[in-house]
Amino acid sequence: MMPKVKIATDWLAGCAGCHMSLLDMDERIVGLLESVDFTSSPVTDLKHPPDEGVTVGILEGAISNTHNIEVAKKMREKCQILVAVGDCATFGGIVAMRNLVGTDQALERAYLETESVCGGLIPDSDELVKPLPMVTGVDKIVKVDLFVPGCPPRADAFFYALTELLAGRTPVILPPELFTYD
Amino acid sequence: MEQVRITINGSEFSSPVGTTVLQAAKQAEIDIPTLCDHPALAPIGACRICVVEVKGQRNLQTACSYPISEGMEIETESPRVVKARKLVLDMLFSERNHFCMFCEASGDCELQTLGYRYGLDHWLYPTYTKPFPIDATQKFFLMEHNRCILCQRCSRACGELVANHTLGLRQRGTDTMIHADTYLPWGESTCITCGTCLQSCPTGAIIERRSSFTGRSGQTEKTASTCSQCSIGCGIKVVTRGGQVLRIEGDWGAEVNGGLLCKRGRFDPLFEGRARYTEPLLRRDGKLSPADWDLILTTVAERINDARPDQVGILCSSSATSEALHLANNLFRRQLHSQAGLLNGAVPQAFDAGLLSDIEGSDIIIVAGADPVRAQPVSSFIVKRTADRGARLVLVAGKDNGLSPFAHVHVPPDEIGKAVEIASRAERPTVVYGDAVTDAQLNALKALEGKATFVRIEPGVNTYTAASLGINKGLNTRGLKVLYVLLGDQDWDGSGVIESLSPDVFIVLQGGFVSPLAGRADAVLPSAIWSERMGTTVNTDGRVLGLSAAFPPDGEAKQDWEVLQLLAGGLGLETGGSFAEISAAAVAELKGKEGR
Repeated sequence: MMPKVKIATDWLAGCAGCHMSLLDMDERIVGLLESVDFTSSPVTDLKHPPDEGVTVGILEGAISNTHNIEVAKKMREKCQILVAVGDCATFGGIVAMRNLVGTDQALERAYLETESVCGGLIPDSDELVKPLPMVTGVDKIVKVDLFVPGCPPRADAFFYALTELLAGRTPVILPPELFTYD
Repeated sequence: MEQVRITINGSEFSSPVGTTVLQAAKQAEIDIPTLCDHPALAPIGACRICVVEVKGQRNLQTACSYPISEGMEIETESPRVVKARKLVLDMLFSERNHFCMFCEASGDCELQTLGYRYGLDHWLYPTYTKPFPIDATQKFFLMEHNRCILCQRCSRACGELVANHTLGLRQRGTDTMIHADTYLPWGESTCITCGTCLQSCPTGAIIERRSSFTGRSGQTEKTASTCSQCSIGCGIKVVTRGGQVLRIEGDWGAEVNGGLLCKRGRFDPLFEGRARYTEPLLRRDGKLSPADWDLILTTVAERINDARPDQVGILCSSSATSEALHLANNLFRRQLHSQAGLLNGAVPQAFDAGLLSDIEGSDIIIVAGADPVRAQPVSSFIVKRTADRGARLVLVAGKDNGLSPFAHVHVPPDEIGKAVEIASRAERPTVVYGDAVTDAQLNALKALEGKATFVRIEPGVNTYTAASLGINKGLNTRGLKVLYVLLGDQDWDGSGVIESLSPDVFIVLQGGFVSPLAGRADAVLPSAIWSERMGTTVNTDGRVLGLSAAFPPDGEAKQDWEVLQLLAGGLGLETGGSFAEISAAAVAELKGKEGR
């Protein structure tokens, strides 16, 4: 029996929607499990990719703060093929709306100026991660091997990309009906 | 026309001399992507997405602006071309906010479509995020500068097509943005809210406020019809979804307007405030109350039968279809020998009529007795853009005419002789005249017969048909016992007619919208409104134009012609046959339609 292909997923600045879409593969996940081992993900008990590494790493979400950079670099280190899924990981997405006002102004609006705030304070502690001045896609921090855009990518797009990778067919070219920006 | 032979992607084609590479490719059914180009606008080659490889040329050339020449060899999708197009897209996406997932235009955006076509699954360059303002000072549409790609289709449409020159570019480089006048809030600018910019925008930069986020183009239905607001008869597409009108678009393929519409045609019908008549009403015990069609038609027929022919009259709105006018004429004048009048007057048919499109070829335009800016705006666009191309505009009108700011020479109405003298020295003068033209003015203009082209602009939507039938003036209300008003969508309170009627006159109101006239009406027959109307109308050029219904008539309302047909049947008279027969008969009765 062939050893199972190990896949790890993680999320950065995202909404978990891409992971939900991954789960939307429904019963096809059961079929995939015959040849795939999902080692870790934010929605399972094991959160971090194993030390020995995985073949495919999947990242959802944009690079928005210093922690995102750490997670992205760690995943890049631990996987052979890095897949950026969703508009946030590929372009910056919804999170990049912050760029239109600037990080400082966004923090002020959120923590000081919001109508319900009394005696607001912008969180600032060494224990907290620091928001970056600019939100970007994952490829601006680490090398990405495959992009699956979409908000979220359709479950069919996940299934198509994984099936192609498992069959060793690269580069993966998404068919037009699965290639979407929204 | 002289043909030029060219090779595109290895296949040979021939196109007329003067054709651009883009047009030649289109004729050969080869798709070259475009963004800043639009068939209705002059090409500017600004966005460079249409670049192609031309053998012998060192650089790639923009297909939209590059003319073909004999033996030219063109490659439209070579690796070099595709690389250049991807670069253009990467550069476009690197500026401003082109995130699709929260954009109104997603699904209908030309930039997005190209991103898909060239497989842009991530962005090469960091996004540049200098924020631009959103201008929401217009009632009908807003400008989201962050989604603008500076293709200038809006400002070119505003200048070249509408000749209003409100929109332009300000600043340079990455600060460049579209602005209205000298950076005024759009709502306070010289904008006439015709919406041509909105219809020209390839992205989500200019979006309609009322219909935004109500569905992508593919989720809507589009009914090609004719605008029912004035006598120009612009081609429209009524965009609907789930039984609602979302918006009205100008039909780029329509000969009359070439895609242009005015505020009245594009937006006003969407903000209609009047309630509808959806069931027949009959006055009983002093009150209008619901009645079924049989009863109401029998009652009206009885009233007509009880009166002498000269005591019955129909007053037609010029917005009625040709079919309804034909049946009204057939029933009331030919069969009942009663009279038929027209609510809005008609223009005297003093000269051989030219077409609206003839205005474009003139070197002097005299406008007399007409205010097209206010009454028939799309015709004023033609006048204005012809003036832009060098024609002199001689306006014979008072100071408050809408064309005043554009006139080169302004002549008071009683000094039309001056205008005639100027025109007599021109090579291709055109006279545009409307319903306010006086007999004295017409007499003076006669001097230009044989030299000038005369373009008559009728005051009402379908005045052309009414006038052809001889229904061209008001009604003599003396001794009237039954007044039938074919009101259509018109907003008329009866002033000028109702006060001269004795209180016992039986008034029948056939209309779509609740009218102040109902206070005096004895019977109300509900009819289809603009979005439900089927039939034909004839514009001021004499062009026969089709009206298609986007919806069936609301409630128990019926088409105007159908009601008249039922009434004729109730009176035991000739009903005109099938809709197709009525339609053909109506067209056959048009006068002076030769060569249309």
